[in-house]
Amino acid sequence: MIELDGGIAAQLAEEVNPSSAIQVRVGTSNSFLIIASILQPLIQGFEMKGVYICASRRAVEIIQTLDEIGIDTTGITFIDTVSAGFIGGTETPYENVRFVDSPIMLESIMLQTLYHLGEHTDTGSFVLLDSVNALSIYNEGRMLAEYLHTFINTFRAREVLTAIVNVPDQTPPGVLANLDLYCTDLIDRGQVVIN
Amino acid sequence: MMPNPQYERDRCVTGIRGLDEILRGGIPYGSTVLVAGTCGSGKTTMCMEFLVNGARAGEACAHFSATEPSVKLLENVRQFDFFDMRLVDQGLINVFDMDVLFSWLGMTKSTFDLTDIDAMVKSITDIVNTIGVTRLVIDSVTTLCYKIPSEQLIRDFLFKLGKALSTLGCTALLVSEITSSGAKAYWSSFGVEEAILDGILVLGDVERMGHLLRFIQVVKMRGTQHSRAKYAMELTRKGVMMTPMLKWGAAND
Repeated sequence: MIELDGGIAAQLAEEVNPSSAIQVRVGTSNSFLIIASILQPLIQGFEMKGVYICASRRAVEIIQTLDEIGIDTTGITFIDTVSAGFIGGTETPYENVRFVDSPIMLESIMLQTLYHLGEHTDTGSFVLLDSVNALSIYNEGRMLAEYLHTFINTFRAREVLTAIVNVPDQTPPGVLANLDLYCTDLIDRGQVVIN
Repeated sequence: MMPNPQYERDRCVTGIRGLDEILRGGIPYGSTVLVAGTCGSGKTTMCMEFLVNGARAGEACAHFSATEPSVKLLENVRQFDFFDMRLVDQGLINVFDMDVLFSWLGMTKSTFDLTDIDAMVKSITDIVNTIGVTRLVIDSVTTLCYKIPSEQLIRDFLFKLGKALSTLGCTALLVSEITSSGAKAYWSSFGVEEAILDGILVLGDVERMGHLLRFIQVVKMRGTQHSRAKYAMELTRKGVMMTPMLKWGAAND
């Protein structure tokens, strides 16, 4: 049984509001635990629905792992930018998965996200971007910085909570500086301490 | 001295997500607008959504199809959630095959002269007048213009058509097929359409690392302040959506 990070639920309950933009700093080994620790209170505590932008891993893999942890994924639309990268990748048993051809199609990701958020008008909404590091493989720093600037402001204007996952020591410095500037909150689990 | 009140023309609200904001409220009523785009750029879908949104508001709409049979057109647009076949059944969206229209008019020649052009304009405006059409699409005007042998006659045709439709209060989108949307491209196939008409919407693709992203750009629209930026465009089941294109990614690789 995976034990989630209860400190994150407490921080979300105390500090964030519907238009918060949260920079989520993770390490390479704990990223999924942290993401699950964010999703659980958003879905089961705040009863929010939302969009999960999958740039690091395939949506199917993420859904299966969340299911194993016991997190209900039916209220999440997964925008998968990974699976169209190989033949057969877009075959999925899940109805809540949509595909974008490539992580370089940043505007398509934005439009798909806006489209699916429009389906959740009866509840609070969130967008989780997983991750800045994966997007930076395909997009040069200045374009990615511009995208994140637009991304954060677009969803804050619509009162949609955003959580932007990054591994800080592997994020381009210019992009990280922009995240520091534009995000309203920080969940910092980027330094993994081994006792 | 009395202050000069700011004059605003009434608008035809397209209902297309993002486009009315780009146009600061919609297309000025009675305008004839060129929708110029490369193949697969979303011209037909966007124009059909324009008609559907008008029909849903109770407006009579007409679509003149010159590139594909109307049956095929309707089959293609039925996949979209925004389209409702009942609007056709109720007579709010009227779809005409240009080939059938030409047969009615006895226009069987491979090229049109001034008499043919006048007959074509009259038949279209008669339909608009009879049904009370306020939104019209011709898809595509390029196909019609291929039958017109000189630039002067094309200019005459578009000028007469635009003037007649404007007089009838009909807002029209004329689809134009172009082969390139680059910086040096013409906005129309024959180079004369763009000067005569009231507005130009350009649809095309930006190539980014081997992927094509659709874009839309309002190059010209008389009677309104408007954005002239490029907007990324997606065709969703609910219709067209647009968002500002990233400035660092707006040019082809």
